Amino acid sequence: MREKKSSSILHSISAWLIMLPGLILFAFFVWEPLLESIRLSLYTAKGIHLMDFVGLKNYIAVLQHPDFLPAIRNTFLYTFWSLIIGFLIPIIMATFITETVHMKSFFRVGVYFPNIMPGLATVMMWGYLFRPGKTGVFNILLSALGIQPFDWLASPAWTIPLIVLTMTWKSAGSTALIYMAGMGSINPELYEAATIDGATPWKRFLHISLPSIFGLGKTLLILQIISVFQILYEPLVMTNGGPNNASISVMQLVFRYAFEDYNYPMAASLSVIISIILVLLTAVYFKATKGKKPEYSTN
Amino acid sequence: MSFFKKYRDKQDGTIRFYDIKSSWIKFISILIFLACIIMVVIAIFPALWVFLASFKDIQEFRRTPTLFPNKYNFNVFLKTWNELHFLKYYLNSFIAVAGSTICAIFFNGLLAYGLAILKPKGYKIVTGLVMWSLLIPATTSMVSLFVNITRVGLDGTFLPLWLAAGANAFYVLLFKQFFEQLPKELIEASELDGCSNFKIFYKIVFPLSVPIVMVVAIFAACAAWSDFLLPYLVLSNTDKVTVMVRLFQFRTSNTNDVDVLRAIVFSIIPPIILFTIFQKQITQSVVSAGIKG
Repeated sequence: MREKKSSSILHSISAWLIMLPGLILFAFFVWEPLLESIRLSLYTAKGIHLMDFVGLKNYIAVLQHPDFLPAIRNTFLYTFWSLIIGFLIPIIMATFITETVHMKSFFRVGVYFPNIMPGLATVMMWGYLFRPGKTGVFNILLSALGIQPFDWLASPAWTIPLIVLTMTWKSAGSTALIYMAGMGSINPELYEAATIDGATPWKRFLHISLPSIFGLGKTLLILQIISVFQILYEPLVMTNGGPNNASISVMQLVFRYAFEDYNYPMAASLSVIISIILVLLTAVYFKATKGKKPEYSTN
Repeated sequence: MSFFKKYRDKQDGTIRFYDIKSSWIKFISILIFLACIIMVVIAIFPALWVFLASFKDIQEFRRTPTLFPNKYNFNVFLKTWNELHFLKYYLNSFIAVAGSTICAIFFNGLLAYGLAILKPKGYKIVTGLVMWSLLIPATTSMVSLFVNITRVGLDGTFLPLWLAAGANAFYVLLFKQFFEQLPKELIEASELDGCSNFKIFYKIVFPLSVPIVMVVAIFAACAAWSDFLLPYLVLSNTDKVTVMVRLFQFRTSNTNDVDVLRAIVFSIIPPIILFTIFQKQITQSVVSAGIKG
């Protein structure tokens, strides 16, 4: 008996030792930086060295900065447009591929292709597609239709929807695959029973297919909002926040404070504000998925 | 018509094989098929265009409003490759990718082994913390992480990139889910044989987990290749610049457009090769990872 007890303690110790390297890395790369952000945000600093405790002064500076309101407004615009463009397109794609029988695996692989493109290469590439003037790709296509060249990213009203379009191009395929799996697992007898009851294909789609991916859609929607909230390198590379702050995002503001102005405390304050908003969104997410284990996607 | 014959075997979706009798549904099915083709064209066209437009010279690119180049000469790629020293960036990227992939498998795998199989006292707290980390976006703590890395003097080395891959909640979860489904009898039997915890891991658990190790390796390699924020912050002013960091530096340099286009092509070739080889594993694991949760 006694022997068993000591061996179970040994078991525990060796188990913790096995987990230790991973735990140290998590502590250094994930958990500690969160606390460090809070600490950093309460001090002034010279480079990376903390100087004086200043309380909430950095937060006030962030909130009063003229770029703060545009960035918040844009973040909501990004979210709005990604709901309009980014949420529906994967569902439509998944429906189409589900409803066809030819070359299915080719379509599956084809629409997933943009996902493997490095994010930075994607946004640079789309920057070229959106080039203003006669030689931009989309303008060449437009002129083939007899339409005048367009300014694309350079026109403030269009920047955000176009950036969202780029993001959607990259990520829609993987989301569509998830929806497809959801649609593929619907019990075929449901459709057959509905047909016997006289339901047309369109009605079956509305009353069987769509409702059965509703839960999945809810989850993916919230994850999408959380990820759009952190949009950084799309505006950074494609427009650098311009024209005239029309596309600057909150994360880009963090980037600017930290790595262009080297004002780490201010960057940390804004990070903390964003984290709080994200924690709230996550709480909504948990509530929506009703205490299930967290779901996640690979994007 | 043979196009519709195949619909007899259709197993899923709204449109059933018996619907195909109606000519309206036949029409819709053709439209849907065409829409799928258009979707794939949209998915592939931008990358294809970048590749083809890279053959243009700078005058042609700036002046002529045509989609595709007049002539195709592969030497232009060679020229840009040599002039911009891409071999060096490729090597740096490969070093970053190799180290990150190994760390991603080793550290996350061991942690998941502890959480899924060993379950020492108090493991639930760690599980909870890891789950929460899944939802905490890395970008929000980037500033303080960078400050910490600088404080411990790891900036300018590949170490932070490698080790950061070893603290990935998503990989831990993938491993954990897989380990939990392994046959318990095998592990219990070897415990009785007096194998140590670590020995059980590399003698039994690890060899049985090749499929999930592959998935994590592919994800980690892709992520490490594509990552640029941390590499940019840590490696920017060293000779260890990776392909993505070099791409990002074009933002503030005046390299001519066709060279940038070719650099983009260089940056997407390795992921495309990886994807071509492992397309099945990649598309399947996206689905299973997205749904299980």
